[in-house]
Amino acid sequence: MKENDSRNSNSLLDDEDELTVKQIINGLEKLDQWNPVSTPDLQLFQQNVELEKNRIRKKQWKDLLTFISVAVFVLSVVIAIVYHEPIFYLYFQLVGIILLPLAFNKTRKKVRNEDLQQSK
Amino acid sequence: MDEKDLIRKAKKGDTLALSTLLQQNYSFLVRYLMKVTLHPQNAEDLTQETMLKCIEKIQLYNGESKFSSWLITIATNLFIDQQRRKKREKNWQKQQQALRKMKWNAANRNEEWTDVLDVLAQINEDIRMPIVLKHYYGYSYEEIGKMMGIAEGTVKSRVSNGLKRVRKELAELEGE
Repeated sequence: MKENDSRNSNSLLDDEDELTVKQIINGLEKLDQWNPVSTPDLQLFQQNVELEKNRIRKKQWKDLLTFISVAVFVLSVVIAIVYHEPIFYLYFQLVGIILLPLAFNKTRKKVRNEDLQQSK
Repeated sequence: MDEKDLIRKAKKGDTLALSTLLQQNYSFLVRYLMKVTLHPQNAEDLTQETMLKCIEKIQLYNGESKFSSWLITIATNLFIDQQRRKKREKNWQKQQQALRKMKWNAANRNEEWTDVLDVLAQINEDIRMPIVLKHYYGYSYEEIGKMMGIAEGTVKSRVSNGLKRVRKELAELEGE
């Protein structure tokens, strides 16, 4: 906190403002007294940090997969048009059709495991 | 281990260092949010959100400002976003409920309620936040401008007009 700086900055105020600022500071200090804050254990913070990191990691993988899928789709369309080879487009789509359910199945399995752990 | 070491380790992915940093700043953050929201439950919720955002964005912390100031910047922006999303009328009702609860807490402790908190709750958070940051925490107008994403001059005028309004409304309450 920078209460000392606050006091210094108050010296630039006129008397009326200074009184108002004093009242505000007193009111806010009372707020702290009436609502004491208890800090949770370090373990709880560690758990939360781990959970959030896992969530971010999963989200990044999902975003990457989406990006690659879109890129492959666009690329296959471009190749099919530029080289007049619609078969390339079909090959890419076929690979996509095989890979996507695998990716989704993996995610679904993970959710099921979490659900089981929660129900235990 | 000092804060700089903790930040360095946290940026490298050390969970313990990041958890320690968050734990050290937890009560500071809740207290700050309690002062700007004047709503203890909302302050706790926003603290959780700020912590999650911090875990996600720790790589982007460049050390230019203090770690606590960086957390205040995140919390301030989350609060501004939250206020924009919620309907003003509902907000006002929730604010009044929170104030009644705090008055009840104060009465239970046999302490006298202070009118200035009623006045602060009435004014818009866009004005309340710079007043608290300037006159309670002592941040400069420039720092507050950066935290809130507004011009320094705007902060100055909000603080100055806000103080005038608080003074006027306090005088009216005392006159009643």
